[in-house]
Amino acid sequence: MSKSKPSGSSRYEMLFIVPNNFTEDEAKSIVAKVEGIVTENGATIVFSEFWGKKKLAYIIKQNHYGYYSLCEFDIDRDALTKIDRVLRLSNEVLRHQIISIPAVTDAERLAIKEKQTQASKSDKKEEKPNSKEKISKVVDKKEDKKEDKKESSKAELKDLDQKLEGIITAKDLL
Amino acid sequence: MSNKKSKECFFCVNQLDVDYKDVRTLRRFVNFYMKILPGSRTGVCAWHQRKLTQAIKRARVMSLLAPTHK
Repeated sequence: MSKSKPSGSSRYEMLFIVPNNFTEDEAKSIVAKVEGIVTENGATIVFSEFWGKKKLAYIIKQNHYGYYSLCEFDIDRDALTKIDRVLRLSNEVLRHQIISIPAVTDAERLAIKEKQTQASKSDKKEEKPNSKEKISKVVDKKEDKKEDKKESSKAELKDLDQKLEGIITAKDLL
Repeated sequence: MSNKKSKECFFCVNQLDVDYKDVRTLRRFVNFYMKILPGSRTGVCAWHQRKLTQAIKRARVMSLLAPTHK
């Protein structure tokens, strides 16, 4: 916790999505513009991170993909509403969310990330043997020929999925 | 998430804060239909379960988690 922060201001975190009809370089310039808007309203940016292009969990305004960017800053509560209004009106930001968070130093932020990855890894180790056992049981019951056919069809499906994704991205880029 | 009820709170054991950006862990506390699992199913303590539901809802707003399955 930083004790030397100015009175009345507190730490906020903003995640926003830039639509996919921009290229990555354009998206980065938009991110810089948004951060400019934030600083204009009296905020001091503490941390910012560009996540890059990610697939959206659901379609937003006919966008399948979006560029995510994260930004942490100290700001007064009153000034926050101005930023919110500006970003809601702009077409360059698909969606944004501002959330109040406890003030964290860079070292602590890194530690949190490490913990998250470790936790997910430890879960994987627990889950993997179970799934393998299940698969082996299933394999014993079925004939060998059927399995081969199924595996090949699965592989084909995966290839198809990859191709489809490629087509979708190409369309979005146009 | 396994069907067996885990007795210990995932977040207390791993000393983790609930983070809406960490989709991998959030995915564990959501069922096939993307519905939030109850605390009795997840084994998460009441304090963290409250944080968890909020985090999942925030992730849904930012399209990190789907609101329903396809």
